[in-house]
Amino acid sequence: MPDFNVRSDAVNVEQIMEQIRARIREKRGVDYTEAQIKELASVKLEKFLDPRGVRSDLLEQFRRAQPTYAPPELPNFAFEDQTLFESTRGPLRFIRRLLLPILKLFFNPNPLIQALNIQSKLNASAAEREAKRDAARYAFDQLHYEVMHNLVIETTRLGIEVKNLKMRLESMASRLEFNERRARALESAVVYKPASEERPPQESRREEPRREEGRREESRRDESRRQDTRRSEPQARPLPPSPSSVPVAEIPVPEETSAAGTASTQPGAIAEGPGQKSRRRRRRRGRRGSGAAASIMAGPDQAGADQSTDDQGDGEDSAVDTAAEQTGADDAIEQSADSRDSRPEPLEHAFGAQAHPDEPATGDPASAPSSSSPVAPESEPQSEEPTSSKPSAPEQ
Amino acid sequence: MKLAIVVQRYGLAINGGAELHARYIAEHLARHAQVEVWTTCASDYVTWRNELPAGEERINNIPVRRFRVKHERDPLTFGRLSERVFNEQHSIADELDWLEAEGPTSPGLISHINRHAAEFDFCIFFSYRYYHAFHGARTAGARAILVPTAERDPAAGVSIFAPIFRGVRALMYNSPEERTMIQALARNESVPSVVVGVGSEVPQNPQPQRFRQKHAVKGPFAVYVGRIDENKGCRELFNHFNSYLRQKAGKLTLVLIGNSILDIPQHPRIRHLGFLDDTDKFDAIAGAELLIMPSFFESLSMVALEAWALGRPVLANAKCDVLKGQCIRSNAGLYYDSEAEFVETLRAIEFNKWIAGSLGKNGRQYYRDNYDWPVVERKYLDMLQRLAATPAAANAFEPQPGWMERRKATCPPAAQVVAATPIGPSVAPEMSIPRPAGPVAPPLPRRAQTPDRGRPAQSRPAPQGRRPQGRGRRSSGQGPGASR
Repeated sequence: MPDFNVRSDAVNVEQIMEQIRARIREKRGVDYTEAQIKELASVKLEKFLDPRGVRSDLLEQFRRAQPTYAPPELPNFAFEDQTLFESTRGPLRFIRRLLLPILKLFFNPNPLIQALNIQSKLNASAAEREAKRDAARYAFDQLHYEVMHNLVIETTRLGIEVKNLKMRLESMASRLEFNERRARALESAVVYKPASEERPPQESRREEPRREEGRREESRRDESRRQDTRRSEPQARPLPPSPSSVPVAEIPVPEETSAAGTASTQPGAIAEGPGQKSRRRRRRRGRRGSGAAASIMAGPDQAGADQSTDDQGDGEDSAVDTAAEQTGADDAIEQSADSRDSRPEPLEHAFGAQAHPDEPATGDPASAPSSSSPVAPESEPQSEEPTSSKPSAPEQ
Repeated sequence: MKLAIVVQRYGLAINGGAELHARYIAEHLARHAQVEVWTTCASDYVTWRNELPAGEERINNIPVRRFRVKHERDPLTFGRLSERVFNEQHSIADELDWLEAEGPTSPGLISHINRHAAEFDFCIFFSYRYYHAFHGARTAGARAILVPTAERDPAAGVSIFAPIFRGVRALMYNSPEERTMIQALARNESVPSVVVGVGSEVPQNPQPQRFRQKHAVKGPFAVYVGRIDENKGCRELFNHFNSYLRQKAGKLTLVLIGNSILDIPQHPRIRHLGFLDDTDKFDAIAGAELLIMPSFFESLSMVALEAWALGRPVLANAKCDVLKGQCIRSNAGLYYDSEAEFVETLRAIEFNKWIAGSLGKNGRQYYRDNYDWPVVERKYLDMLQRLAATPAAANAFEPQPGWMERRKATCPPAAQVVAATPIGPSVAPEMSIPRPAGPVAPPLPRRAQTPDRGRPAQSRPAPQGRRPQGRGRRSSGQGPGASR
């Protein structure tokens, strides 16, 4: 064969193994070898069991408590027919044998010898049985030791597994939180995107004549309203048109602002009670939280309707809120925060760049000075429209 | 030169690692020297029953002389003695009893060695742990060369073997890890030794497609070749592979080749094909994505070498130092220490064709550098020439202790002794000798006369001009890779 070298030096097995182990660690937390688990098992016993008064060196003590098994030495139970007359001394043995017939004249020793012989056999078998039992017990003890040892190791392994699972749970929770925030950011971006930006150019071109017509219709309606107002000047102010009858996007903002201004200057405005402010905040948060998701699920049209219905249901509260919000600077700040919330959430918020949602972030449109105005910009008519379309409390 | 190969079993149908190793070595050394094999009539390594006829026969043109085994192994006695010797304080008499119980007890073989060893230059004994190697090496004296094939199991710590490791003329190790372990156990650094291993009869042109058609194997597959046994790590392999199957991405099927003494999980992607002949085996390895070696104890995995020779990567059990060391030294295989590692390494080889290809390429080169037959033959021949050129120490074997000494329970448990030896793979690259320029190594010098037993061999002239002029070949008499 030709002598050539085809070794691929680019592959380094140890490096590959390191990478694989790192990937495993990343996936499942720390990966322990058998030896490490055994080491941890002993450490755990010492660290974990000692404070509770349990013997930490349980296994060691168990092992020490088990002496090396040695089968017991059985006593000599042998009893034969000659045992009674045996002797180490020869002459004595001879004399006994000589006098045995004389002894047998007095009594018969045979039944006695037989009984003792049976007894010796019984003793031997009992001792053997006892020895077997001892051996079995010893074997069981060994088994118990093994079971205990395995239990300790398995418990440690389970402990480690639980720890790993906890870590995974934490990691999944953080991922979930991150995803939720991202979803919220995306929802805001989709729902609160200005209509003019969202519409495609063709559609806006198609809507141009319609808008013209609407404007003409609106001016006609204004004219008639002015005439009605002039006619009923000394009487009560007429109710504004219901939101269902008026297109949401076409409600003129200046009118709404003036209505709010009127409400604030009413002498009979309801004073804010204790705890009312916080209740209001909660309500707003609830509306904000549910509104966006619901609007995403139901589509943009339904979303607008939902929002208006929701706000209608809270008609009284909203009126109170609107009135109360005009009372102080504190409320103005609150309202500015509210109006800021209705804008798309900046990505820095979504990805947790800010420690607090009120903290200004770079590029946050809400942090612009103009946004602190209680009046919402024209491009966001949906967020402010229900307030203007609802009848205000003092007027009722 | 006349060589006697002494091994516990021998035959074409015997596929045990050490036995096949011995046959390969005998057949390859027969090209350079006069070789005779001395073995037993047993073919079953559990019972050592006399199944083959005693006497002389020829296998692949090698004369083989068989001797009867005195008694079969009694598993109960052997188990009891193993327990005592491995795990309790015991005496040398216990160890000798254990060796006798282990078998194959063949006094006929030992007396033949005693009578005829002097007619041979060297007797090469395979597998240190058996009766024939222990008593035969002592009988052969200065002619004994040992191929220990030692694994990291408690038997290596039995104290009667340390004098054998110190007393033989030379040791032919299978791996650096084996050498490290035996040197730690026996302190035999002064004995000439070399890490050789063994080659394999790998076909030049395997046909994976033929294997697929014959056994209806479709799709990519990983192959395991060997006895399907818990001791070989197969239960762990099944557990790990089930875990791999639970992850849907992988497409590999596990193909098992070999006799099974273990329940195999029923799964469409675990296929057991039973024992196959060499042709099918090599076709299967050549067609596999990788070879899996789950064994815990190996002195050298021949099937891993065969996979490397065929350019296939190997996935080995990291608990086996030898396999792990080979993977690291060769850069030709990955290893796993846990289920997660098994799954990840398997996926790495399956999904990264570049890694699999590079590992395979490295494996082929590693095999060519270290285990190709010209390299193995050259290492043996170098060692034999070196031993022939140097005088043997008289009474190298320490005398056996006396009757009283043998019965003193002073020997520590063998398992403890082995556990105290250094563990871990040897990551230093092996000193490999360059491949000989020619396909066949030059023949050894003819034996001029039969030296007497124990007689120093310095009177023999040192062979000259026998070395092939390979690239970068050393000029000293010491074989590359050999250690003193």
